[in-house]
Amino acid sequence: MRSRAAASVLTGAGFQEVHSMEGGIRAWHGLVAEGIPEARMAYFSPATRPEEMIAMAWLLEDGSCKFYESLTETLDEQEAKGLFQNLKRSEENHKTTLWKLFEEISGKTPTHEFPHKMIPTEPRGDVMEGGMLVSEALKWSKGKTLKDILELCLSLETNSYDLYLKMEQKVETNKAKQVFKTLSEEEKNHLDRLTSLFSKTLETKS
Amino acid sequence: MSILDYFKPVSTWAAEKVREFLNEKTQEGYNLVDVRQPEEYEQGHLPGAQLIPVGELPNRLAELDPNKPTIVY
Repeated sequence: MRSRAAASVLTGAGFQEVHSMEGGIRAWHGLVAEGIPEARMAYFSPATRPEEMIAMAWLLEDGSCKFYESLTETLDEQEAKGLFQNLKRSEENHKTTLWKLFEEISGKTPTHEFPHKMIPTEPRGDVMEGGMLVSEALKWSKGKTLKDILELCLSLETNSYDLYLKMEQKVETNKAKQVFKTLSEEEKNHLDRLTSLFSKTLETKS
Repeated sequence: MSILDYFKPVSTWAAEKVREFLNEKTQEGYNLVDVRQPEEYEQGHLPGAQLIPVGELPNRLAELDPNKPTIVY
Protein backbone atom coordinates (compact mmCIF):
# COMPACT_ATOMS: atom_id res chain seq x y z
CA MET A 1 0.00 0.00 0.00
CA ARG A 2 2.16 2.76 -1.30
CA SER A 3 -0.48 5.39 -0.83
CA ARG A 4 -0.79 4.67 2.88
CA ALA A 5 2.95 4.92 3.25
CA ALA A 6 2.84 8.20 1.34
CA ALA A 7 -0.01 9.46 3.51
CA SER A 8 1.93 8.75 6.65
CA VAL A 9 5.02 10.50 5.29
CA LEU A 10 2.89 13.57 4.60
CA THR A 11 1.13 13.47 7.94
CA GLY A 12 4.50 13.12 9.63
CA ALA A 13 5.74 16.16 7.74
CA GLY A 14 2.96 18.28 9.16
CA PHE A 15 0.42 18.19 6.35
CA GLN A 16 -2.95 19.32 7.69
CA GLU A 17 -5.30 16.86 6.06
CA VAL A 18 -4.24 13.75 4.18
CA HIS A 19 -6.40 11.03 2.63
CA SER A 20 -5.39 7.89 0.87
CA MET A 21 -7.68 6.70 -1.91
CA GLU A 22 -9.02 3.27 -1.13
CA GLY A 23 -8.30 0.68 -3.80
CA GLY A 24 -6.06 3.06 -5.72
CA ILE A 25 -6.51 3.65 -9.42
CA ARG A 26 -8.32 0.33 -9.91
CA ALA A 27 -11.18 1.62 -7.80
CA TRP A 28 -11.46 4.73 -9.94
CA HIS A 29 -14.12 3.80 -12.47
CA GLY A 30 -13.88 6.99 -14.33
CA LEU A 31 -11.86 8.68 -16.91
CA VAL A 32 -8.15 8.43 -16.56
CA ALA A 33 -5.60 10.42 -18.46
CA GLU A 34 -2.81 8.62 -20.22
CA GLY A 35 0.63 10.06 -20.15
CA ILE A 36 2.58 9.91 -23.33
CA PRO A 37 6.20 10.13 -22.34
CA GLU A 38 7.59 11.88 -25.39
CA ALA A 39 4.62 14.16 -25.91
CA ARG A 40 3.98 15.04 -22.33
CA MET A 41 6.71 14.48 -19.79
CA ALA A 42 9.48 15.83 -21.96
CA TYR A 43 7.69 19.12 -22.40
CA PHE A 44 6.98 19.39 -18.75
CA SER A 45 10.43 19.63 -17.43
CA PRO A 46 10.48 22.45 -14.90
CA ALA A 47 12.34 24.54 -17.45
CA THR A 48 9.50 24.49 -19.97
CA ARG A 49 8.81 28.05 -20.95
CA PRO A 50 5.24 29.32 -21.15
CA GLU A 51 5.69 30.08 -24.86
CA GLU A 52 6.55 26.44 -25.46
CA MET A 53 3.50 25.27 -23.55
CA ILE A 54 1.28 27.58 -25.56
CA ALA A 55 2.79 26.36 -28.81
CA MET A 56 2.34 22.75 -27.83
CA ALA A 57 -1.26 23.33 -26.81
CA TRP A 58 -1.90 25.13 -30.09
CA LEU A 59 -0.54 22.21 -32.09
CA LEU A 60 -2.70 19.77 -30.18
CA GLU A 61 -5.81 21.89 -30.65
CA ASP A 62 -5.04 22.19 -34.34
CA GLY A 63 -4.77 18.42 -34.65
CA SER A 64 -8.04 17.92 -32.78
CA CYS A 65 -9.81 20.36 -35.10
CA LYS A 66 -8.70 18.35 -38.09
CA PHE A 67 -9.81 15.11 -36.45
CA TYR A 68 -13.26 16.39 -35.50
CA GLU A 69 -13.70 17.94 -38.91
CA SER A 70 -13.11 14.68 -40.72
CA LEU A 71 -15.39 12.87 -38.30
CA THR A 72 -18.24 15.21 -39.23
CA GLU A 73 -17.61 14.31 -42.84
CA THR A 74 -17.53 10.55 -42.41
CA LEU A 75 -20.18 9.93 -39.74
CA ASP A 76 -23.84 9.44 -40.60
CA GLU A 77 -25.38 9.92 -37.17
CA GLN A 78 -26.85 13.42 -37.05
CA GLU A 79 -26.45 13.98 -33.33
CA ALA A 80 -22.81 12.94 -33.37
CA LYS A 81 -22.16 15.06 -36.45
CA GLY A 82 -23.59 18.07 -34.63
CA LEU A 83 -21.52 17.45 -31.53
CA PHE A 84 -18.29 17.08 -33.48
CA GLN A 85 -19.04 20.26 -35.40
CA ASN A 86 -19.47 22.08 -32.11
CA LEU A 87 -16.32 20.60 -30.67
CA LYS A 88 -14.39 21.55 -33.77
CA ARG A 89 -15.56 25.15 -33.48
CA SER A 90 -14.67 25.22 -29.82
CA GLU A 91 -11.13 23.94 -30.51
CA GLU A 92 -10.83 26.61 -33.21
CA ASN A 93 -11.60 29.20 -30.57
CA HIS A 94 -9.00 27.68 -28.31
CA LYS A 95 -6.43 28.14 -31.05
CA THR A 96 -7.31 31.83 -31.29
CA THR A 97 -7.15 32.19 -27.52
CA LEU A 98 -3.72 30.55 -27.42
CA TRP A 99 -2.49 32.67 -30.32
CA LYS A 100 -3.46 35.84 -28.44
CA LEU A 101 -1.91 34.61 -25.23
CA PHE A 102 1.34 33.93 -27.05
CA GLU A 103 1.30 37.46 -28.42
CA GLU A 104 0.71 38.91 -24.98
CA ILE A 105 3.33 36.86 -23.19
CA SER A 106 6.11 37.00 -25.73
CA GLY A 107 5.40 40.53 -26.96
CA LYS A 108 5.80 39.19 -30.48
CA THR A 109 3.25 38.77 -33.20
CA PRO A 110 3.13 35.10 -34.02
CA THR A 111 4.13 34.23 -37.54
CA HIS A 112 3.01 31.19 -39.47
CA GLU A 113 6.07 29.48 -38.02
CA PHE A 114 4.86 30.16 -34.49
CA PRO A 115 3.93 26.79 -33.13
CA HIS A 116 6.46 24.63 -34.93
CA LYS A 117 9.44 26.83 -34.21
CA MET A 118 8.74 26.72 -30.49
CA ILE A 119 8.72 22.98 -30.03
CA PRO A 120 12.19 21.54 -29.44
CA THR A 121 11.51 18.27 -31.20
CA GLU A 122 9.32 18.54 -34.23
CA PRO A 123 6.28 16.27 -33.93
CA ARG A 124 6.05 13.66 -36.65
CA GLY A 125 2.88 15.06 -38.11
CA ASP A 126 -0.37 16.58 -36.97
CA VAL A 127 -0.69 15.65 -33.35
CA MET A 128 -3.96 16.09 -31.56
CA GLU A 129 -4.99 16.32 -27.94
CA GLY A 130 -3.75 13.26 -26.19
CA GLY A 131 -0.60 13.23 -28.27
CA MET A 132 -1.97 10.91 -30.91
CA LEU A 133 -1.32 11.43 -34.60
CA VAL A 134 -4.39 12.59 -36.48
CA SER A 135 -3.60 10.32 -39.39
CA GLU A 136 -3.36 7.30 -37.09
CA ALA A 137 -6.60 8.17 -35.35
CA LEU A 138 -8.43 8.59 -38.63
CA LYS A 139 -7.12 5.35 -39.98
CA TRP A 140 -8.19 3.63 -36.79
CA SER A 141 -11.66 5.16 -36.80
CA LYS A 142 -12.54 3.84 -40.27
CA GLY A 143 -15.27 1.24 -39.97
CA LYS A 144 -15.45 1.65 -36.19
CA THR A 145 -18.76 2.09 -34.42
CA LEU A 146 -19.78 5.44 -33.01
CA LYS A 147 -19.31 3.98 -29.54
CA ASP A 148 -15.65 3.15 -30.24
CA ILE A 149 -15.03 6.58 -31.74
CA LEU A 150 -16.62 8.30 -28.78
CA GLU A 151 -14.48 6.24 -26.47
CA LEU A 152 -11.36 7.45 -28.24
CA CYS A 153 -12.56 11.06 -28.10
CA LEU A 154 -13.26 10.68 -24.39
CA SER A 155 -9.72 9.60 -23.68
CA LEU A 156 -8.31 12.36 -25.87
CA GLU A 157 -10.35 15.03 -24.12
CA THR A 158 -9.44 13.59 -20.73
CA ASN A 159 -5.81 13.95 -21.69
CA SER A 160 -6.20 17.53 -22.78
CA TYR A 161 -8.13 18.34 -19.63
CA ASP A 162 -5.21 16.88 -17.68
CA LEU A 163 -2.74 18.82 -19.84
CA TYR A 164 -4.35 22.20 -19.15
CA LEU A 165 -4.65 21.48 -15.44
CA LYS A 166 -0.91 20.84 -15.41
CA MET A 167 -0.08 23.86 -17.50
CA GLU A 168 -2.10 25.93 -15.08
CA GLN A 169 0.00 24.54 -12.22
CA LYS A 170 3.31 25.10 -13.97
CA VAL A 171 2.89 28.52 -15.45
CA GLU A 172 3.71 31.49 -13.29
CA THR A 173 2.08 34.52 -14.85
CA ASN A 174 -1.48 35.14 -13.72
CA LYS A 175 -2.76 35.85 -17.18
CA ALA A 176 -1.55 32.51 -18.51
CA LYS A 177 -2.85 30.71 -15.41
CA GLN A 178 -6.27 32.20 -16.04
CA VAL A 179 -6.25 31.21 -19.70
CA PHE A 180 -5.24 27.62 -18.98
CA LYS A 181 -7.87 27.43 -16.29
CA THR A 182 -10.57 28.53 -18.72
CA LEU A 183 -9.32 26.09 -21.33
CA SER A 184 -9.36 23.24 -18.85
CA GLU A 185 -12.92 24.11 -17.86
CA GLU A 186 -13.96 24.05 -21.48
CA GLU A 187 -12.28 20.70 -22.07
CA LYS A 188 -14.15 19.42 -19.03
CA ASN A 189 -17.33 20.62 -20.68
CA HIS A 190 -16.40 18.75 -23.87
CA LEU A 191 -15.91 15.68 -21.74
CA ASP A 192 -19.36 16.05 -20.24
CA ARG A 193 -20.97 16.40 -23.64
CA LEU A 194 -19.10 13.43 -25.07
CA THR A 195 -19.96 11.41 -22.00
CA SER A 196 -23.65 12.11 -22.32
CA LEU A 197 -23.70 11.07 -25.99
CA PHE A 198 -21.59 8.06 -25.11
CA SER A 199 -24.02 6.85 -22.45
CA LYS A 200 -26.90 7.39 -24.85
CA THR A 201 -25.10 5.16 -27.35
CA LEU A 202 -24.74 2.51 -24.67
CA GLU A 203 -28.46 2.67 -23.87
CA THR A 204 -29.59 2.18 -27.44
CA LYS A 205 -27.29 -0.79 -27.85
CA SER A 206 -28.66 -2.69 -24.88
CA MET B 1 10.54 7.86 8.87
CA SER B 2 10.45 5.12 11.46
CA ILE B 3 8.74 1.78 11.12
CA LEU B 4 6.08 2.97 13.57
CA ASP B 5 4.87 5.50 11.05
CA TYR B 6 3.34 2.66 9.07
CA PHE B 7 0.98 2.02 11.92
CA LYS B 8 -0.30 5.52 12.31
CA PRO B 9 -3.95 5.65 11.41
CA VAL B 10 -4.36 7.07 7.93
CA SER B 11 -7.63 8.43 6.64
CA THR B 12 -8.86 6.53 3.61
CA TRP B 13 -11.46 7.77 1.19
CA ALA B 14 -13.43 5.66 -1.24
CA ALA B 15 -12.97 6.54 -4.91
CA GLU B 16 -16.51 7.90 -5.02
CA LYS B 17 -15.77 10.25 -2.14
CA VAL B 18 -12.64 11.45 -3.91
CA ARG B 19 -14.64 12.06 -7.08
CA GLU B 20 -17.20 14.18 -5.22
CA PHE B 21 -14.46 16.13 -3.52
CA LEU B 22 -12.61 16.86 -6.76
CA ASN B 23 -15.81 17.90 -8.49
CA GLU B 24 -16.65 20.38 -5.75
CA LYS B 25 -13.27 22.03 -5.52
CA THR B 26 -11.10 23.89 -7.93
CA GLN B 27 -7.56 22.79 -8.50
CA GLU B 28 -6.07 25.42 -6.20
CA GLY B 29 -8.00 23.87 -3.33
CA TYR B 30 -6.11 20.59 -2.97
CA ASN B 31 -3.05 18.47 -3.69
CA LEU B 32 -3.73 15.34 -5.73
CA VAL B 33 -0.68 13.11 -5.76
CA ASP B 34 -0.04 9.92 -7.69
CA VAL B 35 2.66 8.09 -5.75
CA ARG B 36 3.14 5.22 -8.19
CA GLN B 37 5.95 4.80 -10.68
CA PRO B 38 6.16 6.85 -13.89
CA GLU B 39 5.35 3.79 -16.03
CA GLU B 40 2.12 3.26 -14.11
CA TYR B 41 1.27 6.92 -14.27
CA GLU B 42 1.69 6.85 -18.02
CA GLN B 43 -0.79 4.01 -18.35
CA GLY B 44 -3.46 6.02 -16.62
CA HIS B 45 -3.87 8.59 -13.89
CA LEU B 46 -6.51 10.87 -12.46
CA PRO B 47 -6.79 14.11 -14.43
CA GLY B 48 -4.57 16.76 -12.93
CA ALA B 49 -2.72 14.39 -10.63
CA GLN B 50 0.86 15.25 -9.84
CA LEU B 51 3.35 12.41 -10.13
CA ILE B 52 5.66 11.97 -7.15
CA PRO B 53 6.72 8.32 -6.76
CA VAL B 54 6.50 7.33 -3.13
CA GLY B 55 10.25 6.85 -2.88
CA GLU B 56 10.88 10.44 -3.90
CA LEU B 57 8.19 11.92 -1.72
CA PRO B 58 10.29 12.74 1.36
CA ASN B 59 12.64 14.82 -0.80
CA ARG B 60 9.94 16.54 -2.75
CA LEU B 61 7.63 17.77 0.00
CA ALA B 62 8.36 21.34 -0.99
CA GLU B 63 6.34 20.83 -4.18
CA LEU B 64 3.15 20.48 -2.16
CA ASP B 65 1.27 22.95 0.02
CA PRO B 66 0.93 21.39 3.48
CA ASN B 67 -2.09 23.56 4.27
CA LYS B 68 -4.26 22.13 1.52
CA PRO B 69 -6.17 18.87 1.80
CA THR B 70 -4.04 16.21 0.14
CA ILE B 71 -5.23 13.08 -1.60
CA VAL B 72 -2.76 10.35 -2.45
CA TYR B 73 -3.20 7.15 -4.42
